[in-house]
Amino acid sequence: MAIARTSTFAGEPVAEGHGWLGELVTALRRNPLGVASAGIIVLLALTATFADVVAPYDPLAPHPEIRLSAPSRAHPFGTDDIGRDVLSRVIYGSRISLWVGLLAVGIGTIVGMLIGLVSGYWEGRLDMMLQRIMDAIQAIPGLLLALAIVSVLRPSTTHAMIAIAIVIIPGNSRIVRGAVMSAKQNRYVEAARAMGCRHLRIIVRHILPNVTAPILIIASIWFGNAILIEASLSFLGVGTQPPEPSWGLMLSTTGRAFFEQAPWLAVFPGLAISLAVLGFNLFGDTLRDAWDPKLRRSG
Amino acid sequence: MPADRGSNRREFMKAASWGSLAVTAGMVATGRTPAFAAAPSKYPDWIPASPKPPKRGGTLTRASAWDPPVIDPRLTQSVGLYQFAGLTSNRLVRYAFTDEATGPSDLTLKGDLAESWAASSDHRVWTFKLRQGVKWQNLPPLNGRELTAADIKYCFEQYAKEGVQAFTFQEIEGMETPDKHTLRVHLKTPNTLFPQNVAEPVTLIFAREVLEEDGDLKKRLIGTGPYILKEHTRKVRVVLQRNPDYWDKGRPYVDEYVILSTPDAATRLAAFRTGQADFIWVASPSEVETIIKTNPATVVQAYHNTLAPFGLALAQDRAPFNDVRVRRAVSMAIDRQKMVDTVFEGHGILGWGVPYIYYQDTPPTAKDLGPWWQYRPADAKKLLAEAGHPNGFETTLFYYEYFPQMTSEVQLVQHDLKKNLNINVKITKLDYTTYYGRYVESKWDGMSWGFQSGHAVGLDERTYMYMHSRSTKNFFRVNDPVIDELTTKLRRTPDKAEQRLIAKKIVDREYDQVLRMWMPYDNGFLVFQPHARNMAAVAMRRTDGYGSPSLARAWMEK
Amino acid sequence: MYKYVLRRLLLAVPVLLLSSLIVFGLMRVMPGDALTALMAESGNVGEKELAKLRRDLQLDRPYVEQYALWLWQMVSFRPGDSIFTGEPIATSLKKSIPVTLELATLALILGLVIAVPIGMLSATRQNTPADYAGRVVAVSGLSLPDFWLGTLVITFAAIWFRWIPSIGYVSFWESPTKNLQQFLLPAAVLGFRLSAATMRMTRSTVLEVLREDYVRTARAKGLEGRIVVYKHALKNALIPVVTIVGGQLGTLLAGTVIVETIFALPGMGRLTVEAILFRDYPVVQTNVMLVAGALVSLNLMVDLMYAWLDPRIRYH
Repeated sequence: MAIARTSTFAGEPVAEGHGWLGELVTALRRNPLGVASAGIIVLLALTATFADVVAPYDPLAPHPEIRLSAPSRAHPFGTDDIGRDVLSRVIYGSRISLWVGLLAVGIGTIVGMLIGLVSGYWEGRLDMMLQRIMDAIQAIPGLLLALAIVSVLRPSTTHAMIAIAIVIIPGNSRIVRGAVMSAKQNRYVEAARAMGCRHLRIIVRHILPNVTAPILIIASIWFGNAILIEASLSFLGVGTQPPEPSWGLMLSTTGRAFFEQAPWLAVFPGLAISLAVLGFNLFGDTLRDAWDPKLRRSG
Repeated sequence: MPADRGSNRREFMKAASWGSLAVTAGMVATGRTPAFAAAPSKYPDWIPASPKPPKRGGTLTRASAWDPPVIDPRLTQSVGLYQFAGLTSNRLVRYAFTDEATGPSDLTLKGDLAESWAASSDHRVWTFKLRQGVKWQNLPPLNGRELTAADIKYCFEQYAKEGVQAFTFQEIEGMETPDKHTLRVHLKTPNTLFPQNVAEPVTLIFAREVLEEDGDLKKRLIGTGPYILKEHTRKVRVVLQRNPDYWDKGRPYVDEYVILSTPDAATRLAAFRTGQADFIWVASPSEVETIIKTNPATVVQAYHNTLAPFGLALAQDRAPFNDVRVRRAVSMAIDRQKMVDTVFEGHGILGWGVPYIYYQDTPPTAKDLGPWWQYRPADAKKLLAEAGHPNGFETTLFYYEYFPQMTSEVQLVQHDLKKNLNINVKITKLDYTTYYGRYVESKWDGMSWGFQSGHAVGLDERTYMYMHSRSTKNFFRVNDPVIDELTTKLRRTPDKAEQRLIAKKIVDREYDQVLRMWMPYDNGFLVFQPHARNMAAVAMRRTDGYGSPSLARAWMEK
Repeated sequence: MYKYVLRRLLLAVPVLLLSSLIVFGLMRVMPGDALTALMAESGNVGEKELAKLRRDLQLDRPYVEQYALWLWQMVSFRPGDSIFTGEPIATSLKKSIPVTLELATLALILGLVIAVPIGMLSATRQNTPADYAGRVVAVSGLSLPDFWLGTLVITFAAIWFRWIPSIGYVSFWESPTKNLQQFLLPAAVLGFRLSAATMRMTRSTVLEVLREDYVRTARAKGLEGRIVVYKHALKNALIPVVTIVGGQLGTLLAGTVIVETIFALPGMGRLTVEAILFRDYPVVQTNVMLVAGALVSLNLMVDLMYAWLDPRIRYH
């Protein structure tokens, strides 16, 4: 998904480091959906962290005699094609999804940010070169690029994450670059330069705060996308490997293959994905409501 | 009012999403726990030909998973091609059709382009007498000219030169055509089963002029068969039209056969349900039941299991699998019966590689497979320790998911080996190209979910071609002097009863040395619309796939 | 303005070249090659035959030479043949591009038709239950994977309505009704996803615009609320919508892959994915370059639309 090429946040810079948290809390208080989405994210993180405690069964232990059982008291989400407990697999799946999201978005964001910073701050020929490379990567449709990268690296969860990260980088770098360039016009920055401050100091004190908000907003949205791309890669046959309980693998393989005989194999991983994506997207909206300078001005 | 329009849309969207949630909730609530079945299937494995006189006309349609990559029979054995090439072209010899056969395993050879054939006493020279008056399809550059023995000689020579069939046809030392309708074939070594080899679905007789004009057979497919290739739009459809000059007068019955390229399984099922497909293959009894629920008049054939095409292939030319004790231990550690009962819902077979009908009358039971094929985890552990691996070892397994139950099996095998022998198997699920390339290259290490060719019917193909140490189709890397000796002896034995004995010896040796570790499998079911006639699977091949030639006798009661 | 356009066009050349290098490189580094796929299921191709094929297909030349050859083919508009099928790439493109274009266009229209009204409604009734409902529904479109939605749609259409579009693509010129029937469901599935992103964008930018001074002034002057919204807000809200649409085009073209597979449409997405899986180098390289070129030009057009929509934006 290519992000807005001209950033709507590249307007007035945020006042230096003040009241971020305060703004966020205010936005949350005003906005019950924001609270709900934050709750979902916390739930996801807790489930992933305490999966060993919360999951009733071993997600990898097959009991083929009870395969394709409907949801019941013993197995609230039913069992899959070799009798593994779906609830436990969905719970452990949160770990993989969180891992996929964090790594893909994390790498993509950090690398994108670095490139965008360098590009936007120093401009000139370096900027031209970097942006052309970013354009070149972004010109290739995301799913196809991810498919090609995973095919090169051999299918696995980690490689899928790397592929998704690479897809994310160009868009992120462009947003950061835009934010950096507009931040540079800030009077504070001009003053600091005039005073002879070192670049690093300027970047950290004056530029980064303006960049962090848009980056976090985009990252939260990309989180959901990363999970979906991993599911699509599994659908094409090159994603997570069995027997790992990734939601995407569950949804795209057994979920579809046994859809009519055992719809719970699709419903529960699907709901999990939807919930996670929903949560991150709505939270991203809330962040934007809280931190977007244009919206705040009139608040 | 624009605002109302917006709110109406919002209402609709809300309703739609709640609606689908409700539906799925409903399905979850009514989903039943399937009994873990050991009962045999309630569907017949044979649907005899209709006793009524066949009706002419109509269009047969099918939604197919396969899109032919190449239409050159020298370059591919892909079922995507033979699902229709079996109808555009003939072979020298063929197996019985649905309206001639007595059952699904009736392997009577019938003449296709040949009317009769005979061997010299040493079975090195085979003489085929061709049918007279066979015409090529009335398309340029052949324009309906008569088929002669020279045409067949040309095809066999081309097959021997390059491509997938080369190994089979390089057996031929030389050929003569003493007259227009006689072909004499000289083999390098005796082979009593040579007619079976040329009855394989893939040994099509193609047109010399096309190959000479085009330089390859990739653009045009012209044959002598009951159907003319009228349209081939990649990834869309193949249309076959009745050949009015077909030599088998009065046939075929159906005017047109349309094959729609439909890569997605759910869509193929939907096509059958809505009448856009006249028959379809499904994998399991529970799937058949979901179809019957919505289409009660459906006719079902349980496709008879004569062998399992997939097994656990081990890199047995190197450690640790070159030790027969390791192979035996692995085989004993896997609970095959459990897989049959659960993954295949009781309908599948334990798994063996040579069609049983070549050496006995009834399907093998667990006992017949010998001691190393029983589930004896304690003995397995002991044997593995004896072989020097008391704590197991690490290995890898790569596969391609041909069908979902295969992934279930692979994971169950992984679990069994870990639990019983402490062998850690790392699974890699690959895309088709990577899997295929790596597998047939035969240089891989560890394990693979391997196969032998999907089209083969004949005994020689299933023994000599796949197990002889010098064969290029020997993907399981079998290298056993006893097997070499037995398979060579088999193809030199004219007596049927003796053939059966030798075949039995071959499989016994295979089981004893665990040369190929076959895994449970189920051939699945063919499901027909109520108006279908004479479309049942016969001679061990599916009519929607390699068994397509039998559709020349199909008709529809509509 | 013209200088800007010219500069952008000139810059597009190195970008496309870089893209082509990336694609070329990735395809060559992938395990297995086109010949493996070609020989799939044949099970018996000798070394000699393989070598001969490699020579025929020029796969044994050094990479630099292969790349240069392909580049020349691209520039002279003679894309060569598919390794896998032998069919000229130009032919397969002529057949598959209209399919994907039609699918993408219909999805776009459906998506906008759903998204813009809901987005505007959400914005004008911010933080009311209507807003929440709209946002949840829209985001659910974002969070349902295409293949799941597509499978649901086709399965339930067959079971409940006993009808699915006829399989076997028919072009619009052959039969408009049949064609639109075939494209309705897949376009709806794709459009639903698209509408989610668009709706949220519409909502947030309409929100911004509604707070603009000139809008408040207009309202203060007592102009009818609705007129204010539609005249002023919409035009400015369209800018980011155009951005989002421009950005979504990449996703759209890639997203058609899955929908084309499920609904059996012979489009470019399916063609390219299958070509990647079969290592059909020429097809992948050509197709991806075409799409990349299209995206680059579309982005340029999007930027130009900005200038038209918002007179405050000027390029120099």
